[in-house]
Amino acid sequence: MAAGFKTAEPLEYHMSFLKENCRPDGRELSEFRTTTLNIGSISTADGSALVKLGSTTVICGIKAELANPTVEAPGKGYIVPNVDLPPLCSSRFRPGPPGEQAQASSQFIADVIESSEIIKPEDLCIDRGKLCWVLYCDIMCLDYDGNILDACIIALLAALKNTRLPKVTVNKATCKPEIDLKERHELPVHKHPVGTSFCIFQDSILIVDPTADEESLSTSRLSVVTDEEERLCSLHKPGGTSLSAEKLQTCINRATARQREIQKLIEKVLNSVKAAQ
Amino acid sequence: MATVKVSEAEKVYILHGIRDDLRVDGRSCEDYRHMEVETDVVSNTDGSARVSLGHTAVLVGIKAEIGKPRPLVPDEGYLEFFVDCSANATPEFEGRGGEELGIELSNTLYRVFNNKNSIDLKGLCISAGEHCWVLYVDVLLLQCDGNLYDAISVAIKAALFNTKIPRVHMSSDDEGGKEVELSDDPFDCVRLSVENVPCIVTLCKVGHRHVVDATLQEKACSVASLIIAVTHRGTVTCVKKVGGGSLDPESIFEMTEAGKRVGKALHAPLMKLLQQEESLGKKREKVGFLG
Amino acid sequence: MPTDTKRVRGPEVSQSPSLFDCRPSVVPPSHGARADGRQRDQVDVRPVFVRCGLVSQAKGSAYIEAGDTKLLCSVYGPRETERKDETDMKCGRLTTDMRFAPFSCPERGSWIQGSQDKNFSLMLQESLQPALCLHKYPRSQIEVNVMVLENSGSVQAHAITCASLALADAGIEMYDLVLGCSIRQDGSSYVVDPTYSEESNWSSSEHQGGLTVAFLPSLNQVSGLQSDGEMAEETLTAGIRTCIEGCYKLYPVIQQALVKAVRRAQPPPPES
Repeated sequence: MAAGFKTAEPLEYHMSFLKENCRPDGRELSEFRTTTLNIGSISTADGSALVKLGSTTVICGIKAELANPTVEAPGKGYIVPNVDLPPLCSSRFRPGPPGEQAQASSQFIADVIESSEIIKPEDLCIDRGKLCWVLYCDIMCLDYDGNILDACIIALLAALKNTRLPKVTVNKATCKPEIDLKERHELPVHKHPVGTSFCIFQDSILIVDPTADEESLSTSRLSVVTDEEERLCSLHKPGGTSLSAEKLQTCINRATARQREIQKLIEKVLNSVKAAQ
Repeated sequence: MATVKVSEAEKVYILHGIRDDLRVDGRSCEDYRHMEVETDVVSNTDGSARVSLGHTAVLVGIKAEIGKPRPLVPDEGYLEFFVDCSANATPEFEGRGGEELGIELSNTLYRVFNNKNSIDLKGLCISAGEHCWVLYVDVLLLQCDGNLYDAISVAIKAALFNTKIPRVHMSSDDEGGKEVELSDDPFDCVRLSVENVPCIVTLCKVGHRHVVDATLQEKACSVASLIIAVTHRGTVTCVKKVGGGSLDPESIFEMTEAGKRVGKALHAPLMKLLQQEESLGKKREKVGFLG
Repeated sequence: MPTDTKRVRGPEVSQSPSLFDCRPSVVPPSHGARADGRQRDQVDVRPVFVRCGLVSQAKGSAYIEAGDTKLLCSVYGPRETERKDETDMKCGRLTTDMRFAPFSCPERGSWIQGSQDKNFSLMLQESLQPALCLHKYPRSQIEVNVMVLENSGSVQAHAITCASLALADAGIEMYDLVLGCSIRQDGSSYVVDPTYSEESNWSSSEHQGGLTVAFLPSLNQVSGLQSDGEMAEETLTAGIRTCIEGCYKLYPVIQQALVKAVRRAQPPPPES
């Protein structure tokens, strides 16, 4: 019976739960799904992390390559984040070039990287004006059940914390780089931005960490990214219904609490990875 | 691939014939149809050949260009394959229809030539890490009447035999820079050794037997084929199952054995023919496509 | 080169650090034990970890891990076909898409599918098709998506196994499972289920080649076969036999994973 109601009247179905301050999967309105993290499982990448947010699964792999810096910024390297939503992760995505959602997500992640200063592009410089690192951060969704932005940021952050760049020395005589792939060093991660996404139902009900169903039924969405100093790195509200200032403040407070939880989780997993080595 | 509709009665007729080693056109199971090979048919390529097999007709042109060696193998040149399924061959190739088949064919060709002996790739290198010859092998399907793989591979072998690469040498100027210099004599050319270039044999499983050089009707009666690329020594450089069906291991073993036998036998007359044609030189009467 | 406006772009050219590696590359030994301790000339496949039903959005899915090779496959459908040919009216269509994550290989790959990936997809399709009862799904298509998360060799073979498991998990009617196995011939010896470095480092000896077989174990049929390199006909025949043996080794593990998946999926409550 419940299944029939869900298919026929999805919004009514969700609203009947939300009215009682709970959600179809048993969560409270401000409760995240279980977040699990697996760091460094891809040995072909220079840094990698897999994040599960309930059943939403996102993997981030970082590959470092060498390039010439631009003339405008000779002392800076490149960070190239791309989000891919392959047809594998949900039936809503088609094969071919990235769709609107993937493009928007990539841009959002690029903005977060730039505004939060998670990595300083100066740290990626090897030889000023001549040689620098390019960090290709490829983020791929493997199971799409809503809220990929939060999952992407966690995956990116954890993968960056896991990244080990090989040692480079520039040969004075030939001006060619020499690389020791065995000797690697960590990448300085300056800030720890973490995102928290919300959905708004009928102008008033705010829920956190929406599932794919909830995302498609909601009237508006909001993503807040904060770092460990409670600074606001990014706030993204693409249209939809309006939101009062107090509500926004509650969202930001929830986001800062979430940031602390995730940073702790990343540290814990990183330590257990180190202990296992 | 051009599809032919075959009725149940026709199928039975073909199947029974093949069971008794007598095919609709009078051939036995391991016979090829009439094959024609002509080289040097396109004057603005470095090597070309035309092959017709039954009604299947393919044209292969080879262009040699100077390129940069691949970073992982700096001391070797390389081959690039492109198969163009022209809409002339069959109406199904119109628009993007032939694209998929073209990719499949060219990918198979890469596999067939993915070994050290087929072509002397090191000989295509001009200076390690900087310059090498890249052979662009362009295959044009003019007409499809089954057995494309075999016709293409014979045409490629003939075209490679026909290919003349200009002789070049490296010269260094005063400032230590290197330059590629082309020989002044236009007839001063390098020929490729095609001795080890494999030929592809396609074996089509029809009923409990397999046939070489299947026509479209025979292909319609079959669920799966096996392609085998064999060199003149009998070394297999590629096997691949094509088609939507499956084969039992025993028949695969029979088919590879037959493929090796047929493939080995294909090389000697082909080489003889190519050399004969070459020896005629300018006196040779050009046949062309309509001949 | 046309610019890709749909992705965040980096510099126009960048080079992999491995090109400037100052240490000499280690060529895996061509005799004796293998780098990972497995035996040469024996059907010594890597232990596999398989699990069904990891992708919540898909009809069926499977994950396989063999050594460091990691693959995820999801199956969508049967759903209405987009193409309306005459053949689709009687018989379902199987579409396959196999992709490599950009970070899956030692050298970074591109987002754009190369012709190599299409080759993998095609072999996957031709290997799976004979095992499916496609005539039971007229006018519909079944989509198989494979993502290679980490390539540590024998990707094609494991993709076939993984995809057939995902199809079974999706409840698509099949005649049999399809199992894949690869070998790499190196002169007179061979290695089963080669790793990436065993696949890509060619020692100087003659007669090198790779072979991948897709096999239907209970029907004793080979549904996919592909080789390259150079092999004598006898070696090839022996290689196919070895691969089939390798498939039989894999069979109980895959069966178990499937049984586990079916047990976990609870029977629907009786309609009252």
